[in-house]
Amino acid sequence: MKTASTESNTTASPEFDSPSNGLRWVLPGAFLGLLGLILISGVAASRTLHQMQQQEQLARRDVADRARNLSGLYFSIEGYNEAIQRYAACPAGKPDPVVRGQVDQLTADIGSLLNRYPGNREPEETLLLQTIVDQFARHRQLYTTILVMGPGALRGREQELINDRILAMRQQILESSGELQAWSSQQTRRTDQTLLAQFGHLQASLTESLSVALMAGLVLVVASMAYILRLERQTRGRYRELAQSRHELERLSSRMVDVQEAERRSISRELHDEVGQSLGALLVDLGSLSTNLPDDKTRIRERLENMKSVAERTVGTVRDIALLLRPSMLDDLGLVAALEWQGREVSRRSEMEVTVESEEVSLPDEYNICVYRLVQEALNNAVRHAQARNARVRVMQHDNRIVVDVSDDGRGFQPERTRGLGILGMEERVKRLGGTLTVESAPGRGATLHAELPLPAAAGTA
Amino acid sequence: MRQTRVLLADDHTLIRAGLRLVVEQRPEFLVVGEAADGREAVAMAQSLKPDVVVMDIGMPGLNGIEACRQIRESLPDTQVVMLSMHSDEGYVLRALKAGARAYLLKDSAETDLASAIRAAQEGKSFFSPAVGKVLLEDYMRTLQRTGQEDSYELLSPREREILQLVAECKSSKEIATLLNISVYTVETHRARVMQKLNLRGVPELILYAVRKGIVS
Repeated sequence: MKTASTESNTTASPEFDSPSNGLRWVLPGAFLGLLGLILISGVAASRTLHQMQQQEQLARRDVADRARNLSGLYFSIEGYNEAIQRYAACPAGKPDPVVRGQVDQLTADIGSLLNRYPGNREPEETLLLQTIVDQFARHRQLYTTILVMGPGALRGREQELINDRILAMRQQILESSGELQAWSSQQTRRTDQTLLAQFGHLQASLTESLSVALMAGLVLVVASMAYILRLERQTRGRYRELAQSRHELERLSSRMVDVQEAERRSISRELHDEVGQSLGALLVDLGSLSTNLPDDKTRIRERLENMKSVAERTVGTVRDIALLLRPSMLDDLGLVAALEWQGREVSRRSEMEVTVESEEVSLPDEYNICVYRLVQEALNNAVRHAQARNARVRVMQHDNRIVVDVSDDGRGFQPERTRGLGILGMEERVKRLGGTLTVESAPGRGATLHAELPLPAAAGTA
Repeated sequence: MRQTRVLLADDHTLIRAGLRLVVEQRPEFLVVGEAADGREAVAMAQSLKPDVVVMDIGMPGLNGIEACRQIRESLPDTQVVMLSMHSDEGYVLRALKAGARAYLLKDSAETDLASAIRAAQEGKSFFSPAVGKVLLEDYMRTLQRTGQEDSYELLSPREREILQLVAECKSSKEIATLLNISVYTVETHRARVMQKLNLRGVPELILYAVRKGIVS
């Protein structure tokens, strides 16, 4: 049964290991992928935003340029008109040089303004601008005529000129520049709309990538949770297995103690009952044979005596073996008598004198045998390893526990280093009954064994 | 002459058969029954009222010592010869405390059983010679190792006389008559002997006497 259980254990372990190996690398990989996705979409979004910002700035600057240019143009043309009017109104033959200079200056200004108008024009815009340029050109033809003719040449027709031509022209240019302005603001609106659309697009793509990341994260969380739960379950299973096998081991070793005692008892009984009694009967028969033998049969008597002594020696040996296996005192007289007997027996056979101090205790058999074997082992150690001269055994019953002390004056040892099988065996026996065992010793200072066994409720009063 | 009625108690048939053989060789003894365990021994003793019960000390169920105690309590006239394999003082002392008069090793049952039954029937004590030897050896060894004095040396000649008579199971009255002194004096001597030898009760005194070879 033992081999079967270990076999199933060894086959179970790799089965536990294999699935977790693959997942161990898949999970971090997936996490890294998710992080990468979030990073890439973040970077892309910020770049797009930056681009849009630049585009917007560019468009604003463009619009501002046009507006400035246009208003400059407008004011210059107005100024020009006024200057022409003033020039025309000057007394004949006396052209005002200041006005003349103003007209020239404004002409140059208008030219340069038209030149400086932003180059990146739409065809429609170019058309509108061209209209203004044409109108101004026509305008200028008239004025050039006026300028050439000199002031006062109109002679009273100034008002008419002003009303019919100049104002009308002015109106035309105003209208044209108004159209251009309208077109420009329309253009601005269009740009705004484009930007808005771009922004909307960006928002949509960001939302999309974020929701993808969220979904992936969710899947990962679920997967990791499943993985962790699975690991936890495996660990718990293995822990349970371990605890169980330890428990089984304890049971096994406790059972081994039981089996050992039962076996010893049965062998001892067998020896005592069968071998011992047969030899005893043989002795009785031999004795009566020798008693009833006529006095002259000396040779037969001698042989009978010889047989008797062999049988007696054998009886003694069998008895010793039986007692070692299971002290019959334990059954016949109880624990204290058995301990006293053991003490005397050790005293007889060794150089160590054993004193047993014990009150009469009445315990269940397993406690008797436990205490007996403890004392036996301790005395054995004291004689064999410590070469002690004196040993003292004390067994006391306090309320609901039994206290056993065995101390000797031997050469001692270091309990934390030397932990022989004997002590382990004692510990095993004591632990089985829920008790504690301590061994105190130091080199040159003897040894004291102290054991406490809790008694079952019924035994204390028995 | 009236025969001594003997009850044999041992859990082994072979041993009982051997004992019966030994006992029945003597015409003055009569085996009235055989019991196979302690309980049966007590029951048979109560119905047959034998003069002497020859009892094995280790028996299943009720052991010999407990059976002896019960028989001695209910039948003061019935004496018990204890049969044992052990010459250890734990056994001897407990057998004496339970009221046994004789303590016999099984090895020497064949030679000594008749003397033991006779001594017990007359109210005297009897011990296998080997028992006295072992007890004495234990005693001497303990004295030697612990460096104690043999307290026997402390006793006066009269006290030694009293010790022997008490160990032979004589009552104070018998001793007084024998030594021609008053019962009160006997009691005083007896108490002093117990005190000097540090003994508690007659069984320990008998054990001491056996150990010293004063009685056998």
